[in-house]
Amino acid sequence: MKGLHIVGVSHAYGENKVLDNASLMIPAGELVCLLGSSGSGKTTLLRLAAGLERLQLGKIVIDDKIVADPEVHVPPDHRGIGLMFQDYALFPHLSIIDNVTFGLRGMAKPKAERRAMEMLGRVSMTKYAQSHPHMLSGGQQQRVAMARALAPEPKLLLLDEPFSGLDTNMRLHIREETLTVLKASGVATVMVTHDPEEAMFMADRIKILGESGRILQSGRPHDIYYHPQHGFVAKLFGLMNRFESVIVGGCVEIPLGKIRVKGLGEGRPVEVLVRPEGVILDSEGKDGPVIDVISTHLLGHDNIVRVRLSDESGAKEDEKELYVRAHHAFEPELSNRITAGVDPEYAFIFPLDDLGGMAGAGYTAWPQPHAAE
Amino acid sequence: MVDLASSFLLECESLDLEHQHLADIVNQVVKVIDDGEAEKCADLVSEFVKSAKEHFANEEALLVKVGYPHAKNHQDHHKSLNAKMDHLIEFAKMAGVNHIARDSLRKELVFFLMDDVITTDMDFKSFIEEKAKTDNA
Repeated sequence: MKGLHIVGVSHAYGENKVLDNASLMIPAGELVCLLGSSGSGKTTLLRLAAGLERLQLGKIVIDDKIVADPEVHVPPDHRGIGLMFQDYALFPHLSIIDNVTFGLRGMAKPKAERRAMEMLGRVSMTKYAQSHPHMLSGGQQQRVAMARALAPEPKLLLLDEPFSGLDTNMRLHIREETLTVLKASGVATVMVTHDPEEAMFMADRIKILGESGRILQSGRPHDIYYHPQHGFVAKLFGLMNRFESVIVGGCVEIPLGKIRVKGLGEGRPVEVLVRPEGVILDSEGKDGPVIDVISTHLLGHDNIVRVRLSDESGAKEDEKELYVRAHHAFEPELSNRITAGVDPEYAFIFPLDDLGGMAGAGYTAWPQPHAAE
Repeated sequence: MVDLASSFLLECESLDLEHQHLADIVNQVVKVIDDGEAEKCADLVSEFVKSAKEHFANEEALLVKVGYPHAKNHQDHHKSLNAKMDHLIEFAKMAGVNHIARDSLRKELVFFLMDDVITTDMDFKSFIEEKAKTDNA
């Protein structure tokens, strides 16, 4: 089947194991993001797929052809891959069109130039064909790098933090353009990123790599965000409020209220993670524990609000300060009494005593709006 | 279309046949979508989910029988796929009237089978091969 198939890849640098039995399949035309913190092995996996490192254990197959196993090592330039790195790696002494035709060696020059111009057209860069890289902005260089990577019609495109050198506005614009070009090309793409929002924006599927070099979870961005199966995965997506509790009567109780739980036995100690948007503030102060607002930070549509639970809430000292994502219209200056509750859809519960293979497997709270009591 | 080339084979006949059956259903779903008959997706995906659950049960029994040391982990992995199967059914119900559901269904079915099911099954391929060699010796 066309695409990239990685099976059981483990890799170590000396004693340091960076990948542990990683497997994935990316069909042609789809984009998978490898998301993880520094040292999680995501770039190593990309380098192994590219052939920039020799495989120690496992198998890598591109379009049904084995390109790497412990006995086979097809060199990078025979794998039919395109590479794009964060520094674009354009040749400074070559014009833009020569940069793009560089990967088309073996093709007659007129044909190569036609192909290069076609690719530059796809990324709206034809008028810069005779310019040199230093004359272009970061975003323009990124577009040229994309044209160069796609010109030889690779079977697989490997992107390593391709937008990290761009400023915020340019990054938003370029990644949308890139996605359009990639979808039109029909190539299987692996993108490495440490930016969860970027992964959510770009990916058909996200693979989360944990610190041990293991793939912890795979799924649509929606699956990963709303149904994390591991505390590490839940915490990857920004600020998180953490509580510890015990299951009693099919519920966990945290200072913000009670949350019903399925699938975990009575008496089990658990970690409860609540996203900032899962803490609901009530400016009329009717229900739930009273909070003091420490600070508000307007982000545009939303506020990030730091709050502190009152002593009467019964919260432990290290559970009193919370982050809340509130609507921009939230103005604590206009309230005498503000209380807080929890939306169970944004609360994730993980057993603290599970040392088995699925350690930390997530048990999402029952998604009913009145579960918190 | 899905085709199970050699890198997707476990070399365990019963499980490979079940994978092939699932692949055949995926290909039927892709075909009815391409043919403009997406209203047929719901029945096909119900059959796919039913067959997938039967496959999981058969596989779990086999792994216990051969003494695979990570059988419980694999069982937990199967359980973790329940929510995805629910989504597939929901997408399939909407596929006849919603093009986003059709696109998501096509994409997710292929990922589900090829990445979540078959590629993850490769974890125990070498164990089964070694076990077969030992038993035959």
